[in-house]
Amino acid sequence: MLDELLREIKAMMGIYDSDADQVYGLLAEFPDPGALLHAAEAVREEGYSHFDTHSPFPIHGMDDAMGLGNSKVGYFTFLGGVTGLATATLLQWWTAAVDYPLNISGKPFFAVEPSVPIMFELTVLFAAFGAVGGMLALNGLPRPYNPLFYSERFKGASDDRFFLHIAASDDQFDAEETARTLRSIGALHIELVQDDGVADA
Amino acid sequence: MSTSPEQNASLSWLADPLASTREAAERTYRAVGDRRAWLLPTALGVALLAISLLGLWQSAEDFFFAYLTGWSFLVTTALGGLFFLIFHHLTRASWSVTINRINESLIWAFPLLFVLGIPLLFGMHDLYHWTHAELYDPSSPEYDEILAGKRAYLNTPFWIARMVFYFAVWTLVSYRLYAFSIRQDVDPDPDIPAKLRSTSAWGLPLTAVTVAFASYDILMSTSPHWFSTIFGVYFFSGGILSAVAVITLVAALLQSTGGRLQGVITKEHYQDLGKYLFGFVVFWAYIAFSQYMLYWYGGIPEETVWFQHRLQDGWGWHSAFLLGFHFVVPFLVLLPRGTKRTLPILSVMAVWLIGMHWFDLHWVVLPVLRDSAGFHWVDFTCWLGLTGIFAGGLMYRLSRHPLVPQNHPSLSASLHFENS
Repeated sequence: MLDELLREIKAMMGIYDSDADQVYGLLAEFPDPGALLHAAEAVREEGYSHFDTHSPFPIHGMDDAMGLGNSKVGYFTFLGGVTGLATATLLQWWTAAVDYPLNISGKPFFAVEPSVPIMFELTVLFAAFGAVGGMLALNGLPRPYNPLFYSERFKGASDDRFFLHIAASDDQFDAEETARTLRSIGALHIELVQDDGVADA
Repeated sequence: MSTSPEQNASLSWLADPLASTREAAERTYRAVGDRRAWLLPTALGVALLAISLLGLWQSAEDFFFAYLTGWSFLVTTALGGLFFLIFHHLTRASWSVTINRINESLIWAFPLLFVLGIPLLFGMHDLYHWTHAELYDPSSPEYDEILAGKRAYLNTPFWIARMVFYFAVWTLVSYRLYAFSIRQDVDPDPDIPAKLRSTSAWGLPLTAVTVAFASYDILMSTSPHWFSTIFGVYFFSGGILSAVAVITLVAALLQSTGGRLQGVITKEHYQDLGKYLFGFVVFWAYIAFSQYMLYWYGGIPEETVWFQHRLQDGWGWHSAFLLGFHFVVPFLVLLPRGTKRTLPILSVMAVWLIGMHWFDLHWVVLPVLRDSAGFHWVDFTCWLGLTGIFAGGLMYRLSRHPLVPQNHPSLSASLHFENS
């Protein structure tokens, strides 16, 4: 139960488990960004959910095509902001009124007015931490090892090639059946990627 | 052969300087609806102003202060619209082209506002303490050394001359931005976008400086001993917020009641307008607080006196209300993406922020007159009466020209605009 949940969360971050035979999934190459976009749509309509796309640049509309929905980074940002606001309030109050009260021209030890800039700054700072940390977490980064790196062709993903990867952990995954589907939606080249370093064309 | 629209005749020039180009509008962009769209708000406005005259008879002071609040509300809103349009031209913004015509209709307001400002001249003695002659007479017990020192600047003839100058500048800049854009509808001259940009380029510093001084003259000098160097920015921040809210609201009204601009102004545009509303809510709070915090820290009586009065005798409730409902609540409501893309919520926020802008000015102006907080009915009738006439003018202009700048080179980019 907990394993299942963990697996789903990792899958949401783009980290998929290999199956019992060390198969990580199928990597299909498409000729251009448009073809990749339509392929992502088609794969989603076929009912796959554990798949990802790789291209050298962002493709407009890809999040819709993959059915990703709205980014959840905003929630992390908001949480970070609230944490920052609370931290700054505590910091200002505790240092100025509790730990080391100092009378400065008769002003109150703790007052909201002079604390607002600190509250504002820490809200922004922590919100930025939340946004960057949330973005990394949701993308499953940093991720130094990815079985896809075993594929020679995959190097082109940062140059001029467009890939769609369907993970073996998808309930619908079947090496032959899935390969047929990918071919029917226009894949140029398909290879089976294995976690132990063997990539079969 | 000139194809530019002709100049409008004398008095209607105030409402719209150019002859109607409605016939030249492509079908999708043609305004529908009849005279009621502008006649109704104008009639309501005139009626409310007529009722306000009862207030003048009852208590001239209350009337003039209410009138000044309502009038400044419209001046700041129109100026905010002028800045908003200038920013878009200068940055060659393409997303905003479909809402530009609403913005352009908003800014041709200065001649009318100038005329509507004339009644204030009869209330100078009530509104502006520095107009009292005895302040400057060394033998009088009322002699005021500080104001005597400011006399070279704060005196009625110079004040009126400055007002004429400000309105002349604003009218000139807004005329060029308005007229070039309308001309483009009938005459797709490729030089027009560059003319709009160059007008914006020299118009921006000129407008910025005149707006800062206008804020000192119109509002800050109601408390002539007090001064704040950030006051001009404060004046601007509320105005541009109100302007974006007005543009959002007019777009929503054209779509929901007029059935126009379907698929022209889309969710994507509303989301961007929502982002601007959110941004200027934060900007207003930032500026308002900057003004307050430095004076709180300094703790010098001649500087804190203005805020002290606004934190006592019930005005403290107004200050708290401003903090909560001009900042905290709109901030939280406009924060998520979803609310900015939901037109009913965005429209409610637009109306709310327009009201809060007036409340903000009320908080600036009325404590000068009243020792303890509160409203007078004439505060509302003056504000809504002037706003009715202003809104009538806006709808009149919109009804006479295409609803979007139909030959703008970036129109197609704007129509297909999507937030990424």
